[in-house]
Amino acid sequence: MSGKTVHVEFEGVNKSYDGRKLVVRDLNLRVEEGEFLTLLGPSGSGKTTCLMMLAGFEDPTGGVIRIFGDSVGKVPPRRRNIGMVFQNYALFPHLSVGENLAYPLEVRRIERAGVVERVRRALRLVRLEGFEGRRPGELSGGQQQRVAIARALVFEPRLVLMDEPLGALDRRLREEMQYEIRRIQRTLGVTVVYVTHDQQEAMAMSDRVAVFNRGRIEQVAPPEVLYEEPERGFVATFIGDNNLLFGRVLGVERDICEADTGTDVVKAFLVAPRGVGDRVTLAIRPERVALDPEPGRYSNEFEAQVDDIAFLGDHLRVRLTVCGSTDFVIKIANTVGHGAVLEDDRVRIGFTPLDCRALVPDEEREEG
Amino acid sequence: MPGVIAEAGRSRLSSSFLRSLKAWLLVLPLLAFIGVTFIVPLGSMLTRSVHAPVVADALPETLALLRSWDAAGLPGEAVYAAAAREIRTARETRTLGQVATRINRLKSGLRGVLSRTARQLRSIGPRPGDHEPERAGQPPDDATPWRDTLLGIDDAWGEADTWLAIRRAGERFTARHYLNALDLTQSVDGGVVAQPPELRIYLPLLGRTLLVSLAITVLCLVLGYPVAYLIAQAPPKRANLLLLLVLVPFWTSLLVRTTSWIVLLQSQGVVNDLLVAAGLLGDEDRLAMIYNMTGTMVAMTHVLLPFMVLPLYSVMRTIPPHYMRAATSLGGTFFQAFRRVYWPQTLPGVGAGSLLVFILAIGYYITPALVGGRTGQLISNMIAYHMQQSLNWGLAAALGGLLLVCVVALYLVFDRLVGVDRMRLG
Amino acid sequence: MGRLLHVAFCAAVFVFLVAPILVIVPLSFNAEPYFTFTDGMLRLDADAWSLRWYEAVAGDGEWRRALVNSLVIGVSATVLATVLGVLAALGLASPAMPGRAVVMSVVISPMVTPVIVAAAGMFFFYSSIGLAQTHLGLILAHAALGTPFVVITVTATLAGFNHDLTRAAASLGAGPWYAFRSVQLPLVLPGIVSGALFAFATSFDEVVTVLFMGGVEQRTVPREMWAGVREQISPAILAVATFLIAFALLLMGLVQWLRGRGSGSEPAARDAATA
Repeated sequence: MSGKTVHVEFEGVNKSYDGRKLVVRDLNLRVEEGEFLTLLGPSGSGKTTCLMMLAGFEDPTGGVIRIFGDSVGKVPPRRRNIGMVFQNYALFPHLSVGENLAYPLEVRRIERAGVVERVRRALRLVRLEGFEGRRPGELSGGQQQRVAIARALVFEPRLVLMDEPLGALDRRLREEMQYEIRRIQRTLGVTVVYVTHDQQEAMAMSDRVAVFNRGRIEQVAPPEVLYEEPERGFVATFIGDNNLLFGRVLGVERDICEADTGTDVVKAFLVAPRGVGDRVTLAIRPERVALDPEPGRYSNEFEAQVDDIAFLGDHLRVRLTVCGSTDFVIKIANTVGHGAVLEDDRVRIGFTPLDCRALVPDEEREEG
Repeated sequence: MPGVIAEAGRSRLSSSFLRSLKAWLLVLPLLAFIGVTFIVPLGSMLTRSVHAPVVADALPETLALLRSWDAAGLPGEAVYAAAAREIRTARETRTLGQVATRINRLKSGLRGVLSRTARQLRSIGPRPGDHEPERAGQPPDDATPWRDTLLGIDDAWGEADTWLAIRRAGERFTARHYLNALDLTQSVDGGVVAQPPELRIYLPLLGRTLLVSLAITVLCLVLGYPVAYLIAQAPPKRANLLLLLVLVPFWTSLLVRTTSWIVLLQSQGVVNDLLVAAGLLGDEDRLAMIYNMTGTMVAMTHVLLPFMVLPLYSVMRTIPPHYMRAATSLGGTFFQAFRRVYWPQTLPGVGAGSLLVFILAIGYYITPALVGGRTGQLISNMIAYHMQQSLNWGLAAALGGLLLVCVVALYLVFDRLVGVDRMRLG
Repeated sequence: MGRLLHVAFCAAVFVFLVAPILVIVPLSFNAEPYFTFTDGMLRLDADAWSLRWYEAVAGDGEWRRALVNSLVIGVSATVLATVLGVLAALGLASPAMPGRAVVMSVVISPMVTPVIVAAAGMFFFYSSIGLAQTHLGLILAHAALGTPFVVITVTATLAGFNHDLTRAAASLGAGPWYAFRSVQLPLVLPGIVSGALFAFATSFDEVVTVLFMGGVEQRTVPREMWAGVREQISPAILAVATFLIAFALLLMGLVQWLRGRGSGSEPAARDAATA
């Protein structure tokens, strides 16, 4: 993560459209050269605005954006030399695939033979050899997507932005294209800043993910870190499933605290320093909870009531009332001998303090 | 944080200000053009409808002096002197005729009085006292040579009503044309009264115009609704073909279409010939279908029908067929389903089409002028008559103003219901 | 049963819409100076049909002058209306345009104002500045009447235009003018041409302002037709009418064809244009 050149840098960037409400607040972010970074968040969280500011279609209200160390505040989009893939492809419908790809090259006054060669190479890269003469309207969604990617790469930019490029495709095609985009990015070594609201897509493709919520970045980390070590309740629930319990700290011993949820006392791993009496949010992944463990194996063991059981093929999802929560969910792998659980059973569950992360409640930071 | 937001405000101001400035600069040439070539002319018409400068320009001094007259007795000698001088000048500049006409409208008989007075004043010369040289220099205060002279010419100059009429006619801005256009008159003392029923022309005409427009709107709706429904239900290819049939009259010259109706409906025309040939009519009982209200209605319905069908169609096309299917599957008859489910959804189209047809109908001129004969004329034709034949431009302008008010009111309703920027063409 | 009735009713309405126009065409080949089918015509007697009215019109200096006047006034008014209308539509399409509703109302006003009122006002004003009885006066008047059609058509096309295309062009390195010329203009051109054809058709069919403001020198084709219908009605009118029908069909065909080519892959634009 270090030693590489910083390619893109946001420093204290704010953005407001109406002069009152900030849609991006005090944003600080660095993207390294060759990195695949995804801006992930629900709609309206400010991720697309960030991408638009980077592309130059929106001006930051405050702060600085740098590309290779140079502030791009006054540089118009066409001089930024950034490849961009739009949500609905934005292919020019009146031009053929070849003409679409040649467009950025002609703008750059590249001679004819070079244009033809580069267009052919770009189409080969996206596996659409021989499609030069087709009109975008004659292509399938997936093919149009590939053309859009080829067009964003054909003039060899070192930075490519993608704004929910797979949103219009169905699931299978989307997964295939995720792989394709990743392959192309690795082949060329370009830096990619990718926007999506689909956390699985973000996990599958990215070197790092920046999770956006209400105009701020909640956490920037590689996918597995986001999953295993979420720092905020929002991240904990936005990336994968998580159970949240709410409580107050009773006592702290090094990294482990004891928290009172009102009905039980839970031992949890402290992510941020908290003192006795502070409120905490506890996050426990459903698949890290054991059902009917050997007594004494876990330092967190509770009696729970089974409210609902759903069969989901490779696993069962069991909904429990426990520790003051009525929607505590656990996952049980569908393996031989997963045990017979019935609705309304009283069961015991257990989990380690390391799988139960004590987070600073999200409301507290909002106030700050 | 407040600092950040203030900064946000400034930056937004400059960039969005530039963008809206650019948008305005693009729109400005057209606005200026429409303003000069269209809005200003409308304004000049409206001005003319309330502006009556003829008398005021011809008798400025008389009117200025009359302004301080208490209207009780007769005006002073100065008024008579000024009137005599200005009447003579008006005769010399040939404006007396118009002046007399205007004043005569307020008190009949004054036209004759004025022309007689002007004629005789010419023979008297500039000063009535001249034949008594010893008093020429400084007439005594009580001497009233001009009053005597005018009274000598006509007794009317001794009536307060005459002077009241002149004073009223001399008002530069007048509601007279509008009163006239609404079949009202103003008496000399300023009271407004309705014309006797047999003299009312414009209100009945306006009423007839509105009634005919309404009838045409209903006709268009009755004819257009099933057609629009048929097109909306048809598969795309056939729908396009049927739409073309609706568009053919839309694009064909209005004069061509009107000519067609003359050819078809006149007494020696195709329809009558067919009926006679089929033995349904005797050769001498040919139907009078044109040059009357029937002609106006038929031709205007033909002309305006596309304006009903197109908005109806564009609304119906957006109504998913499964609503009707759902309604009939719930056990209603087709007509129940239609009335409760389909019809309410087409109301925006019905409103848009009806308003459009009505707005166009009340301003129609060409068709009634060509096929309306004497009985099929509408308010527009009366405007044209006053513009081109009677040359009573003030009245024409006032009628135009009234028509404009009707249209603007309907247009505002249209804008409310449909939105002008959602208007589409053929 | 109900369906059959519905179709029959609609068929009758379509006949009502189209037949009166078509009836004129065969009558214009009448050898006799009548406005109805002669026995000879019905018997398809070759002598009963002739081109005499077409020859009469073609040989008539007044009709020729009227055609020239119509074309000169129509083309000039169309150019003026199209240039001003397209610029305005571009401004109105900008989301930053303040007071758009008011501006739109003003711009549309010539279309909804009764022509007689507009013509009366124009007569008063244009006379006072010496433009009555001039070609220029009529060109300005017709341009004013034609601009709403251009603005409406082009605005609808622009509303269907995907602004990401302009952004895409910018991201690919194109300057604003190049992006406009290479991307936006070709895509909205069918809309612009449609609007221009509407404006031309408006001018080519307009008779009221010509009646009020035009002198003998400014008589246009519809003005001559007006005189023909009102004063000395002659089948020559039918020959002209047939010519005008053919011309209208040509304009209509052009607009429909352009519609098919409108804004490329944007279905929204196509919807907007056909609605």
